[in-house]
Amino acid sequence: MDEYALGVLTNIGLFSFVALSAYLLLIAGELSFGQQAFFGVGAYAGGIATAMLGLTLPVAVVIAMLCGALAAALVGLPTLRLRGLYFAMTTLAAAEMFRILFELAHWQLDVEGEQVGPDGSQGFRGIRWMLESGVEPEGFVAIVWLLLALVLACFFVIERSKLGATIRALGEDPTLAGTVGIDVNRFKLGVVAASGALAALGGALFAHHNTYIEPRNFDIMLGVHSLAYALIGGLGTAFGPLLGVMLDIGVLESSRFLQGYRMIVFGGLVALLLVWRPRGILDERVVHWLRARFS
Amino acid sequence: MLSVRDLVTAYGKIEALKGVSLEVAPGSITCLLGPNGAGKTTLMMTIAGVLRPKRGSVRFLDEDLAGLAPDAIVKRGIALVPENRLGFPSMSVLENLQAGAYQRRDPIEEDIERIFRRFPPLKARSAQQAGTLSGGEQQMLAVGRALMSRPKLLLMDEPSLGLAPLVVEEIFRTVAELHRDGTTIFLVEQNAHMALKVAQHFFLMEQGRVSFSGDPGSLAEDEVIRRAYLGSSR
Amino acid sequence: MLALGFTLIFGVLRRANLAYGPAIMFGAYAATWTSMNFQAGLLILAVVTIAAAVLAGAYVERLCFAPHRKGPAAAAMVASFALWMQFEELATLALPNHLYAFPALYEGGPLELGRFTVRIDALLILLATVVVCGLLWWILYRTRFGVAVRAVIDDPKAAGLAGIGVPRVFMLVFALASAIGGLAGFLIAGSQEQVTPMLGMWSTLKGMVAMMLGGLGSLPGAVAGGLALGLIEAHAGWFLGPQLRDFLVYLLLFVLLALRPPWMNTRSVS
Repeated sequence: MDEYALGVLTNIGLFSFVALSAYLLLIAGELSFGQQAFFGVGAYAGGIATAMLGLTLPVAVVIAMLCGALAAALVGLPTLRLRGLYFAMTTLAAAEMFRILFELAHWQLDVEGEQVGPDGSQGFRGIRWMLESGVEPEGFVAIVWLLLALVLACFFVIERSKLGATIRALGEDPTLAGTVGIDVNRFKLGVVAASGALAALGGALFAHHNTYIEPRNFDIMLGVHSLAYALIGGLGTAFGPLLGVMLDIGVLESSRFLQGYRMIVFGGLVALLLVWRPRGILDERVVHWLRARFS
Repeated sequence: MLSVRDLVTAYGKIEALKGVSLEVAPGSITCLLGPNGAGKTTLMMTIAGVLRPKRGSVRFLDEDLAGLAPDAIVKRGIALVPENRLGFPSMSVLENLQAGAYQRRDPIEEDIERIFRRFPPLKARSAQQAGTLSGGEQQMLAVGRALMSRPKLLLMDEPSLGLAPLVVEEIFRTVAELHRDGTTIFLVEQNAHMALKVAQHFFLMEQGRVSFSGDPGSLAEDEVIRRAYLGSSR
Repeated sequence: MLALGFTLIFGVLRRANLAYGPAIMFGAYAATWTSMNFQAGLLILAVVTIAAAVLAGAYVERLCFAPHRKGPAAAAMVASFALWMQFEELATLALPNHLYAFPALYEGGPLELGRFTVRIDALLILLATVVVCGLLWWILYRTRFGVAVRAVIDDPKAAGLAGIGVPRVFMLVFALASAIGGLAGFLIAGSQEQVTPMLGMWSTLKGMVAMMLGGLGSLPGAVAGGLALGLIEAHAGWFLGPQLRDFLVYLLLFVLLALRPPWMNTRSVS
């Protein structure tokens, strides 16, 4: 497979993580413009773990996910009782705060003779674990998609379980959920933390794929895009956000003709689609219908 | 004047009106009775254009109004005094009346004077914020606002709800006066006792359908209806 | 002014328009293009900015807000950020440079008033703000249209029943908000003497933060919030530098939203 196609495939996988993290919050009933912050936290944490602390990728990924969950919990805790637009605005504010922190972060260690570490807006270069461990691009794609498959499997199990029903109930009507005995606040915090971990997972992999990250990678547009992927792909199934990512990065980015107008086309698509399908292409109704048809 | 035929209005999949048919004669006071949840407010909201019916027609002066926007309905001469006296709390009494006259291009001072004469408390509070008025005054304001558009047909949804008996009598006196002055009135009332005194024709709605149509005589005669809707305050 | 426009839409349509800044940027870019290709005076550029912003705003209103009038507020907001993406790309495609010069509002030097040095363009902006506020007040409290707008703010359903064409009010309010935003955009471009693609998101954020500072949905609050934000930013920027200044503003927004002091709960426009 040629390098370009591999790159596209990898990117689809990577951005699916952050799209899924927005999706998780959406089905729990909340709009978040801030998932890019946890993607960034994961990227920096993962990069620091391998490039500066000499750890292996699997360990780095776990550390990244923990950091992501922590960061998300930090944002989620004070904002638990906020809903709708107000919650969305806090996620936006928090994400920008993280981005500024990335820009202010200067921490470099001497690793084998050279300075390695985050250097503010200059970014963080030298995340070379993949090259040093001899992982080929094909191997990395496999790693990304294997982890993605694992995550999707988790989603499927959860969707069919009581946990999944609870999360969706939270999304439909939090007041009602509360009256049925669900500790709304604790649940919401859990969902927020999980979404942070998910985005961080993608971020850590992203850092190792690119070998270089900078604060600009984690700006608001990424958050807006993640949200758009989940909303356009559909909120009925974890495949929804995946579909959204594929539509943008797979179809639009790859098409020579549309490449320059990607955001215009994608943005227009989202706005138009929302008029007819406010819950995306693969919304709950379609998914139910598909399940009934094929079971 | 108003002819509703087989009107069906649904909230999603749930049909609140399952095929309502009734007529309101010009120059009359017609009253719609029925228990909670029968669909009376839904019917009023559909006629007023706030809700879109799924099927059926609402004919007013040879025109089918079903599905038109609320302001188009007002333009054609129907005004609704909504349940719960919906109004504009941050605006003054006078401004509320001006809002009711939004579609009028001609001078409205006379109409405002007339409403102030009919409802003296409103005149006293004309610069006051509508949100600070008492329940009875808010109801007067709601009626006044609806009258500002000089409607040919006035719809009233539970005008006596939550008001003291003296105020209720006041409201119904106004209804009778308006009728005398030539306005056709179609009102919803849960407590039929007051309605009996003014209305010429009754419809009874139950579970989304009209189940009775008649004049006060036949209404009062029917034992079941009397017990259910006239209550013990005979 | 940014806050006024944003608050008008938020207060009347009860929705946040995330394409607000980008529509303003479209206006500013249209004016930039005009100034690059024609000999245009400041007045013409102002008109172009406002007209283009209103046009862009109409596009946003038709596509994002009119179809979702009766649905959940989130749908309109999400659609508006999709259009935000469109405007950003359109801007970078039309004028690919990262920065473009924009004619200055005032060429001369600053005014010396005793110990204080006052920039003339800052005075012009303040003057414009006062005029806009006065105009807005006159529209809302001295015209029939204003009664309709305030009625819709109080209760859209009751407004419809009173014979007010609510969709038309929404459209006109949107146009008004876009015009005010366009004027703000022109003034900002003129005082900064440059336009960048960042103007879009920047304007939305400033408008939104100022609105929240001043008490969501209140028009006088929007002005107060804008002034407060300006003061905070100026001082924070002076003492802490640009990045910490922005950080502080976001932190302020975050804390305000998390704590939601009572004066932030106003919905009606007083």
